[in-house]
Amino acid sequence: MPRRFRVPAHRRSVVAVSLVSVLACVLSACTAGRAGSAARDNTLVVDTSFVYKTLDPGRVYEQTGYLAVHALYESLLTFEGGDVTEPKPGLAESYEVSSDATRFTFTLRDEATFSDGSSVTADDVEFSLERLVNLKGSTAAYFEGLDVAAPDRNTVVVTADEPNPNVPVLLAMPAASILNADVVTDHGGTSGRDAASEDRAQSYLDSTTAGSGPYVLERNEPGEQLVLTANDNYWGDAPAYPRVVVRNMEAQNQKLTLTRSSSPEIALDIAGTLLDGLPPSLSVSQKPDTAYFSFVNTDPEVSPVGSRPAFVRAVRAALDYRGLADLLGSRSGPARGLIAPAYPGALPEEDTLEQDLPRAKQLLADAGLTDPAIEFIYPAITYRGVDLGTIATKVQGDAAKAGITINLRPLPLNAFLEQYRGGDAQMGMTPQALTYPRADSMVRVMSPGGVNAERMNWTDDTASAAVRSTTADFLAATTDEERVTAVEAWQHAMHRDSPYVLLGNNSGTVVSTPEVAGADYTPAGWIVDLAAVRRAG
Amino acid sequence: MTTVDTGAPRRPRVPSFVRYLARRLVIALGLLLGSTVVGFLLVQAVPGDPVAANLSDEALGDPEAVAAFEQRWGLDEPLPVQYLTYLGNLVQGDFGMSQHTGRPVLEDLLDHVPATLEIAVPAFVLSVLLGITIGMFAALRHGKAADQAVRVGSLLGLSTPPFWMSLLVLYLFFFVLGLSPGGGRLSPEFSPPPTVTGLYPVDALLAGEPMVAWDAVQHAALPVLVLTLVTTATLVRFVRSALLEVLRKDYITAAYAKGLPARTVRHRHLLRAGLVQIMTMAGLTFASMLAGTVLIESVFAWPGVGNYAYASASALDRPAILGVTVFVAAAYILINLVVDLLYGLADPRIRLS
Repeated sequence: MPRRFRVPAHRRSVVAVSLVSVLACVLSACTAGRAGSAARDNTLVVDTSFVYKTLDPGRVYEQTGYLAVHALYESLLTFEGGDVTEPKPGLAESYEVSSDATRFTFTLRDEATFSDGSSVTADDVEFSLERLVNLKGSTAAYFEGLDVAAPDRNTVVVTADEPNPNVPVLLAMPAASILNADVVTDHGGTSGRDAASEDRAQSYLDSTTAGSGPYVLERNEPGEQLVLTANDNYWGDAPAYPRVVVRNMEAQNQKLTLTRSSSPEIALDIAGTLLDGLPPSLSVSQKPDTAYFSFVNTDPEVSPVGSRPAFVRAVRAALDYRGLADLLGSRSGPARGLIAPAYPGALPEEDTLEQDLPRAKQLLADAGLTDPAIEFIYPAITYRGVDLGTIATKVQGDAAKAGITINLRPLPLNAFLEQYRGGDAQMGMTPQALTYPRADSMVRVMSPGGVNAERMNWTDDTASAAVRSTTADFLAATTDEERVTAVEAWQHAMHRDSPYVLLGNNSGTVVSTPEVAGADYTPAGWIVDLAAVRRAG
Repeated sequence: MTTVDTGAPRRPRVPSFVRYLARRLVIALGLLLGSTVVGFLLVQAVPGDPVAANLSDEALGDPEAVAAFEQRWGLDEPLPVQYLTYLGNLVQGDFGMSQHTGRPVLEDLLDHVPATLEIAVPAFVLSVLLGITIGMFAALRHGKAADQAVRVGSLLGLSTPPFWMSLLVLYLFFFVLGLSPGGGRLSPEFSPPPTVTGLYPVDALLAGEPMVAWDAVQHAALPVLVLTLVTTATLVRFVRSALLEVLRKDYITAAYAKGLPARTVRHRHLLRAGLVQIMTMAGLTFASMLAGTVLIESVFAWPGVGNYAYASASALDRPAILGVTVFVAAAYILINLVVDLLYGLADPRIRLS
């Protein structure tokens, strides 16, 4: 009779315990899986290549920082969606402007509270804006000449030392976010004149929030991720997603990830030619807000060829602007003016620049420039999905058709910045976006006497009368409307007489999965308003 | 012959291994100090102005803003003063503040090093096991088809750029097959477990969160795979050539000739003789893994030392660059020290020489 196989008693108990353990693991996995799935649906994932050094509003400057700060803090005014034509109420429910654009009176909302439940007061506004200026950070220069006063709990008066219609726009910048003065002071912050050396609040503000925005900071892991959660004390409507995870990811990976994603997710760096081949199920929101321009040094000792105005005009005439627009993947078409189409003051389509090779050759011949050659530096980077090398090579090729030899010299970003900022470059190229959504920020740096102009050794003495007068007209204008008109004339004058050669525009982009809606790109600086992103359907 | 007792107390004899250890420690400290000098000078020599790399165009036009930045980061001091201040702080465990994260560099490193260890340690263990096994397999079949196949395979692994291999692996396992959760250390729906070791799988298990641990393992799988493939290719070639050299020795022929089992010859004579060279290579490989594999970490959005070093270099963040330099130098020195000590244990002739 065959022996029946029997498991010994002690082994049976081991087997039973093992089976129960496996079952428990499977059950816990299933439960956790369901919980994970629910958490995923409530989490908005934002993929972006991190560019930020701090989340301290007084020191923040880079775009990832702006993205987060705009979700964590509020400023007196703001912009809604992708429309940057007019600032909308933020912490201030209304404001009045004096006729000479020097006095701005803001009335704060009664209901606005910080994340700790305390009310937002005029003293907090005064503290925040004074701290911003006295920290001497990257954005402080824009706020120089503004005096802030808090005559009562709900009123803020900002006085400019010269007419400045941009004050409401400046006060919508993330840098002008309002902090909880008591909390920041308790953690080493100060708004005094010595704030640049005495303020110690940055590390605190990098790890938590002292604002009134729709989100609070749960975790800041530099180089890895930022985790935001809904602010329970937010005075406005609660955001659709109670949790936002901003992940550091290269652009190519963002494209792969979004293509496969079936959860609420957006990507901020799939731009330019990377947009090719995206599945139609993904939504793309973009605005052409970046100008690419070439600069030519006007100092004959640095650039004997480039300092000749005829050379710059010949380069302008030689360029194939439509071809450049194709390389930039720009849906805004070929270049028109230095102010990108996303902003008020951009030139209309009829001002689109055209290639004119015969004119380029004629200009060179008339000036006696035979086989001119020049060195051209550019940062060897990919910016917004565009390899700058391809743009530089296109410029080189177009110029060669007119008989101009451009010797390309790609440089690491830091080396490029050092040479460019040192005023030692003969010719080069760089992208430039507005720091705040008004032409003012471009006019001030690019006109004679501005930071960029100084790098080209271009001064009032060497600038044309048309450039000087259009710049003066623009700066003298006291309303937004007047400035929009003035900046058009300025762009025409710059196109004729400046050492800048506009190459094209590129768009900032937000790509989103079908699960989300309202992920609109904004040229206001913060890329997308995370609190405005909602569930589709 | 008689011996005369002089009455003088005999100094206790310090064991040779302890003396060997002490000597190596002194050398290691000297090397570490030297690395700070070299690192500091190299960072100064890097083209680029940290002020320009960190301030906006508008702020650069404001002398007060430039002065405030220079004062805040000590850039207004003479170079020797900057170095001595740095060294003094370093001795007290203060690596300085990172300009691009605004946090203490040591804190940043303590965040990033565990991430690197999480992929480096399993990749190292796998690479050593595979490298020795495949290398020995090829050496024992020298000149045969199997040996040729191993050589071609390892050459392929060595000549494939790691970033390209990473992209390929990510594309295949994440995008095409959907077997991997993609980049990062953890899926967005999970929060990192409470920090005990800094290694997510371990900390998640300690916190009783098996799903988080499993998710962390899944995320680590692809970077570990790429690191393993790259490192194994190096080790295979090295082990093969080291063992081929030993195989030509007379004592191996003698061992076979006297009828010892092949397994005994392989493990007791062949592998043991090649061990010193293999340990050297393995040590260097592990140190290079700790130094951070920038491109692999970048492709997999892995927040390790490599990514931190890259971000620091991009921002010309001198304290952070120096912090990474000192960490990497310390890792190399420590691992070399351990390897040296293992030599001493493995071969007494080395510690006595």
